[in-house]
Amino acid sequence: MEQFTTVIGALNVGFYQTLKLFFVTLLGSIPLGLVVSFGSMSRFAPLRWLTRTVVWVIRGTPLMLQLYIIFFIPGMVLPGGSPWPAGYSGRFLAASVAFIINYACYFSEIYRGGIQGVPAGQQEAGLVLGLTKRQIFFKVTLLQMVKRIVPPMSNEIITLVKDTSLATVISIQEIIWAGKAFLKSSHGYSGLMWPMFFTGVYFLAFSGVLTLLFDALEKKLDYFK
Amino acid sequence: MALLEVKNIEKHFGDTQVLRDISFSLTEGQALAIIGSSGSGKTTLLRCLNFLETPDSGTIAVRDKVIFDAADPTTQLEGEVREKRLHFGLVFQNFNLFPQYTALQNVTLALHLRDEGNKHREAIDDRGRELLEQMGLADRAGHYPHQLSGGQQQRVAIARALALKPDILCFDEPTSALDPELTGEVLKVIRGLAEQKTTMIIVTHEMAFARDVADEVIFMDEGVIVEQGPAREVIGNPREERTRQFLSRYSET
Repeated sequence: MEQFTTVIGALNVGFYQTLKLFFVTLLGSIPLGLVVSFGSMSRFAPLRWLTRTVVWVIRGTPLMLQLYIIFFIPGMVLPGGSPWPAGYSGRFLAASVAFIINYACYFSEIYRGGIQGVPAGQQEAGLVLGLTKRQIFFKVTLLQMVKRIVPPMSNEIITLVKDTSLATVISIQEIIWAGKAFLKSSHGYSGLMWPMFFTGVYFLAFSGVLTLLFDALEKKLDYFK
Repeated sequence: MALLEVKNIEKHFGDTQVLRDISFSLTEGQALAIIGSSGSGKTTLLRCLNFLETPDSGTIAVRDKVIFDAADPTTQLEGEVREKRLHFGLVFQNFNLFPQYTALQNVTLALHLRDEGNKHREAIDDRGRELLEQMGLADRAGHYPHQLSGGQQQRVAIARALALKPDILCFDEPTSALDPELTGEVLKVIRGLAEQKTTMIIVTHEMAFARDVADEVIFMDEGVIVEQGPAREVIGNPREERTRQFLSRYSET
């Protein structure tokens, strides 16, 4: 029993890091994704192609590789050495940047689908009623876009819950890192296998809560088609 | 005095010329039907009047005031266009109702947004309900578009266009997206508007309807006005060979 309490305590500490990375990523990538999506729909062709190339590279390479590159490469090429602060806070910052960029690119494509999915007739109907472009966006198209993006966003956000574990490759002490530590030795125990497996329960519970939340949101938007 | 005076409108999409030297006028209280095969430029003409397309040349005047002149960019400033397009109302083929709003909210949205400080909230809602009642939809005010039939949706769209009291109400094939059994209820409403002397421009494929309801008819083909005149004459006894051919194709189907 004492072992269980100790392990749970350690896993909770790890899970706190998981949650922190999760929410920091959302906070950064949800707005950044909108900027990227505008770039990818820009009428200015060079900006459009630049943005789409970046999105292609980020979506076309493993997040794990991006974590390594963002953490290590700046220190190797910049004359002043690594821009990341020394120690854990620097690693966490680097991980956050990598996750935010990666997820912003995925979100941007979802936004683009949502924005382009609203029929042009909605905009035109607003125009002939003398609405301003601003009014058309906020009063007519925005909610229709939100309705369209909620299901793919919920999918992506639940993927993010699990992707946070990748940050362990640059020694972010998230929950799998905390669980794995018991294999060697941690908190006076060594050779414990079950804590690592037990982390799955945390992931399941968290994604379960998110699923319920998104289902509720979808239901709330179900009053119109 | 002509309420609407359209002069020498031309419009290209890339290399294709879709409107050639279109000129016509419309008197207050008249209903004008525009007929012609698909691709003849009818819809583009209607969209030009509503500032959804910008003609390459020509002028549009309402009550003797030029509201659009292709040669004068000052008539095309965004803020002013927004006010000027209110001379016209437009009913779309696909209704284009706002799905997240009820029938009543669809009708009143633009009025509420123009009502600064929300001073006339109740009056606007009353006006919206009145319009829906006029469309025979008094009991559907709280329904969302997806809960309504196509014919009901189109009638809400007509009420929405009427809410802003346009000088000229335009219809772009208002029954083309409807199941045949639903066209009647929409045509009946438009007929009612014609009886109340609403100034209208109706792009339609319903020849019998155009003949009975419109005062004037314009037949368009390949971007030009081929024939124009009193509805009964153009449809009942066309002068031009092309009009005759078009109408005979219609009576066959």
